[in-house]
Amino acid sequence: MTLNFLIAPDFSPERFAGWHMLNTLLQRRSGIHLHLLTPASPAEQAALLAEGKVDMVYANPFDAADMIRSQGYVPFARPAERFDEMVIATGSESSLQKLEDIQPGSRIALTDNKDVKLIGLRLLEPADLNESLIEWVPVESFQAVARLTIKGGVQAGFFLAEAYASLTRMTRSQLRVLVESRISDISHVVLAHPRMAGDLPRLSEALLGIGREPADSDVLEALGIPKGFEAMTQEDAEFMIDLMDTLLD
Amino acid sequence: MRLPDMTRPTADAVESRLTYTDGASRTVFATEVEVPFPEGRLIVSRTDLDGIITHANDAFVELSGWVRDELIGKPHHILRHPDMPKVAFKDLWNTVSEGKKWHGYVKNLRKDGSYYWVYATAVPNIRNGQIAGYTSVRRKPSRTRIDELIPVYRQWLEQEKEKIAS
Repeated sequence: MTLNFLIAPDFSPERFAGWHMLNTLLQRRSGIHLHLLTPASPAEQAALLAEGKVDMVYANPFDAADMIRSQGYVPFARPAERFDEMVIATGSESSLQKLEDIQPGSRIALTDNKDVKLIGLRLLEPADLNESLIEWVPVESFQAVARLTIKGGVQAGFFLAEAYASLTRMTRSQLRVLVESRISDISHVVLAHPRMAGDLPRLSEALLGIGREPADSDVLEALGIPKGFEAMTQEDAEFMIDLMDTLLD
Repeated sequence: MRLPDMTRPTADAVESRLTYTDGASRTVFATEVEVPFPEGRLIVSRTDLDGIITHANDAFVELSGWVRDELIGKPHHILRHPDMPKVAFKDLWNTVSEGKKWHGYVKNLRKDGSYYWVYATAVPNIRNGQIAGYTSVRRKPSRTRIDELIPVYRQWLEQEKEKIAS
């Protein structure tokens, strides 16, 4: 039997090999055959989930909220000490010096990442800006956000903090961070479909154990999750969902 | 859990006697020193059904001026500033105990008598259909909204004092 393991599409392209390495390691240690699904977009992810074939998922926190509360997925792990943060940046030549300098009607580039947009909107509140006062410019990738921001096509760009950090040094030198979130309570989550309850202990043990052997550090470095994974209880996940609920309006 | 009276932090701190919804009261001292909300952060706390703090994130601890052990197990009104009208908190508790989300702008008191403004959201933690506690998240507020609310809160506070006096 093969279980389908879906990875949320918001990881950086250079992590692709890392997820395959993790998948191989998990198979070897759990004895369970896993088929990795790496959708290229949130729409592709939604289609795969709607088909009902996803057994295990590394989910974006906002998707996880719905999967846990509406579809009964079981949270069991999260990346240790690695949280979902976001960055609002402007071009290095921009006249904007602080968040409050962004004026109503400004153009902001962003990707199709609900978590990045939501946290960004909350960070814009002190500048008296809400969703309707911004001209949103949707783009395909964080690299595209960077290009548009550097060229001055938008006043600012929204980035997943990890994606911002992985931009080339040259690209980052042409950008200036206006604010970076430091929430520390919101992270991706590893979930299991309730139908795989029988396999969950073996998979959970294998995933949480990665990092104990010296060779594991190569896999974790390739994933950008150097501390590995830690256990997440149902209550941990429910708390995170409550917290995110407070950010919705 | 009753909170002890505050000790006067500086000579120019203003003394007030606060009475809370649970009937407890204590003396607090407030100064005119405002501490800015840290950029990019959220203040997160949880309480049990009686408003006793069960979880405080690092931002909560840092901005409150207390150490974590002084906060856990204490009533959330340890942060209550004397400039805040009671009606605001009455609305908060009425709303969340009905299972709904509450929003509002709040002036909080620090351990040293200084203060900070927040935009607060509180939600009930519903587990198995029952309210098991409450989560409160505070974020950096709009200064424009605070400036609009200061006279409103002052008016509500005056009305509360008049009601008590009459």
